[in-house]
Amino acid sequence: MSKDGSSFFFPTLLSDAVKWAQKNSLWPMTFGTSCCGIEMMSTISSTYDLARFGAEVVRFSPRQADMLIVAGTITTKMAPVLRTIYDQMLEPKWVIAMGACSSSGGIFDTYSVLQGIDEIMPVDVYVPGCPPIPEGLIHAVMHLQNKIDNRIERMPAERPTPEDAMNAMTYRKDLYQIKADFTITPEYVKEQEAKREQKV
Amino acid sequence: MITRTNTFSPGAKFIETQGKVTARLTEKYGQDRKVELDKLEEPIIWAKNPADAKLLLKSFMIDPHLKVDYLSDVTAYDNEDKEDGDKRFVLVYNVTSIELHTRIRIKTLIDIDQEAMTISDVFKAANWLEREVFDMYGIKFQGHPNLRRIMMDERFTGFPLRKEYPIKRREPFSNNIPFHLGANPLKVDTHVTENGDKK
Amino acid sequence: MSINTKDEGLTDLYNPNVLINIGPAHPATHGTLRVMCRVNGETIEDAACEIGYLHRGIEKLGEDKTYHQWMVYTDRLNYCSALNNNITYAMTVENLFNLSVTERCMWIRTICMELSRIIDHIVCVAANALDIGAMTAFFYLIHWREEAYTMIESMCGMRLTTTYARIGGMSYDLPDNFTERLWKFCEEFPKTIDEIEGLLNSNRIWIDRTKNVGIISKADALQYSITGPSLRASGIDMDLRRDRPYYFYPDLDFDVVVGSNGDVYERYLVRMEEMRQSVRILKQCNKRIPSGPLWVEDKRVRIPDKIDVYTKMEVLIHHFKIFMEGIDVPKGECFTATEGPNGEIGFYIVSRGGPKAWRMRVKSPSFMMFQAFEATIKGGKIPDVIAHLGSVNIIAGELDR
Repeated sequence: MSKDGSSFFFPTLLSDAVKWAQKNSLWPMTFGTSCCGIEMMSTISSTYDLARFGAEVVRFSPRQADMLIVAGTITTKMAPVLRTIYDQMLEPKWVIAMGACSSSGGIFDTYSVLQGIDEIMPVDVYVPGCPPIPEGLIHAVMHLQNKIDNRIERMPAERPTPEDAMNAMTYRKDLYQIKADFTITPEYVKEQEAKREQKV
Repeated sequence: MITRTNTFSPGAKFIETQGKVTARLTEKYGQDRKVELDKLEEPIIWAKNPADAKLLLKSFMIDPHLKVDYLSDVTAYDNEDKEDGDKRFVLVYNVTSIELHTRIRIKTLIDIDQEAMTISDVFKAANWLEREVFDMYGIKFQGHPNLRRIMMDERFTGFPLRKEYPIKRREPFSNNIPFHLGANPLKVDTHVTENGDKK
Repeated sequence: MSINTKDEGLTDLYNPNVLINIGPAHPATHGTLRVMCRVNGETIEDAACEIGYLHRGIEKLGEDKTYHQWMVYTDRLNYCSALNNNITYAMTVENLFNLSVTERCMWIRTICMELSRIIDHIVCVAANALDIGAMTAFFYLIHWREEAYTMIESMCGMRLTTTYARIGGMSYDLPDNFTERLWKFCEEFPKTIDEIEGLLNSNRIWIDRTKNVGIISKADALQYSITGPSLRASGIDMDLRRDRPYYFYPDLDFDVVVGSNGDVYERYLVRMEEMRQSVRILKQCNKRIPSGPLWVEDKRVRIPDKIDVYTKMEVLIHHFKIFMEGIDVPKGECFTATEGPNGEIGFYIVSRGGPKAWRMRVKSPSFMMFQAFEATIKGGKIPDVIAHLGSVNIIAGELDR
């Protein structure tokens, strides 16, 4: 015991024990949308067993899970659903963005695809690949385990508020103004092009 | 050695039937409509207007030489450079015959504010296909039971597959679409009358 | 004891207006689709399906990317059988050129198509069994999908999203010991089909869960334009490999499996038998692959071999032009469809000349199937929805494109 009465031996061991328990029993909430979902299924089945790492209980309820694996393309129609699921998870929670589409939009830079889920939620581990092979996902889970255990410097991410998320999603607002009852006509396109020429 | 010019197996039976179908098409329906062949020697018939396309479709179904009974696809493409005609869009219907294994394509020009006739009373599969054409191009179908957006969010503005729509213009929404049972929900059969007695 | 429904507010017991939303994120492992139901007790009275949660704008990208660049997106359509989509797309563009590939290429493509049929049916049956509760079938079958993945990886380097076919040929030739590995696969795989059939075919629980559930009648199947195993399970005998044959299918000996009832059980049986027929086709193909050139010698599409690119100047320029500018496709249009594992997958390409397509349309079988699904779940119960959804193999990538 130190002079002011705080016991500096016992709490350290308890927090280590808590981290050990957390990292070895990460229950995944698999949010598989497209091709990465199939590779996630392969990871969870017998050849590349993810249950070895504690991710045995794949229950599809966010309330019972502590790790969200977002596998697949997230479109702007699906983004609010994903955010709702993330909000329903209880603390502590971690997010793995599996694949190129959920990390950054991937090969789809189109009118309906969210360019990365980090526009709407903080992500802990990004897994590159299209789709990443199961060894890649296992590497990501192990990396997350090291992160939980504080063996890796964890960058403190400021959790975005819903307003931040909405602002981030409107991509390059100066070019594209979103109004109600708005239709693009050829005249509008010419007008916008003229404006852009003027700026340049 | 047999030289092929396309992917089909040479000497297959359906190629002959396809030729007969094309001949019949030109002879009976091709008087004032253009009939051309695509790269695979499949016939394309240009209907005079969208209502004519529906009429053609119905007559193909009755015709004993054509025996059309199956809809493969309803789609459209943008004719912005006016190469296929002087109107904005081209509406394309792909129909097949299961007995004869032949395909026919019906095309029609349609303008930007013109409405096409729905064929969802003839083929139920056209319901969602026409919704998709409406969603992507803005072509309205007269008589369609449920004409609303299918791929994009309902609050989305603009028609993505038109040539002037920029490919990267995104429109996110902060909440999911509300629950609804479609444009024509079935009536609810309540088991309890107004004074609380069981029916 | 009499229940006075008006006073005690027990009218809700008889309220047929309970709304259940089998939402876009749901435990049935079939991608993002939404089934909104109005339920009376447990019977579904009204249902509406919502799609578009995975709409990625692939058709618009077809107008933006060159023909070779767009090959990548075809994998992501039906991602359980990516090889089939690649080959169908390559076939469509080759039809636009009016050229046909070499014999060796045709046989390799047939092997790829049948192999992808096997792995797609594996995923469908395994996921269906998993949703209904038979987890053993899932684990046993996914092992064989991993074996097939190893073979596909030896062919083209990637397990799932292969991008193997090229316009005019294939990207790589078969590896040296491929024939032996394919033999081994064809010998060992039917034993697992036998095991799973022994587990499920006369299983009381499986039959109760799947027989007379999710019936799609013959008339409905025609009206909703469904294709593939679901159409054949409903009793209509249509198979593009036999009726509008392409490549060497008339020389191959296989049976087309047709059911009669159109329920989930029949679709499962049709898929299992189709896997056996695909193994039969693979064995025949394995004996008949000729040696010879892989690429067709047409200057418009031929991607030269690397050894020539590094040593000869004109070949280097030709390679550069193909990849930087794109191949110059002649004007015209073409609709080519093949018998994919899920149904008839077709590509309708309108070309106005030049390296990029004017319109790239994908006709996907899952889209039609989901319409039929929406119409046929009315009157069923909620667990039947899950069984029906699994048997019909809705792949969200294909549904929404």
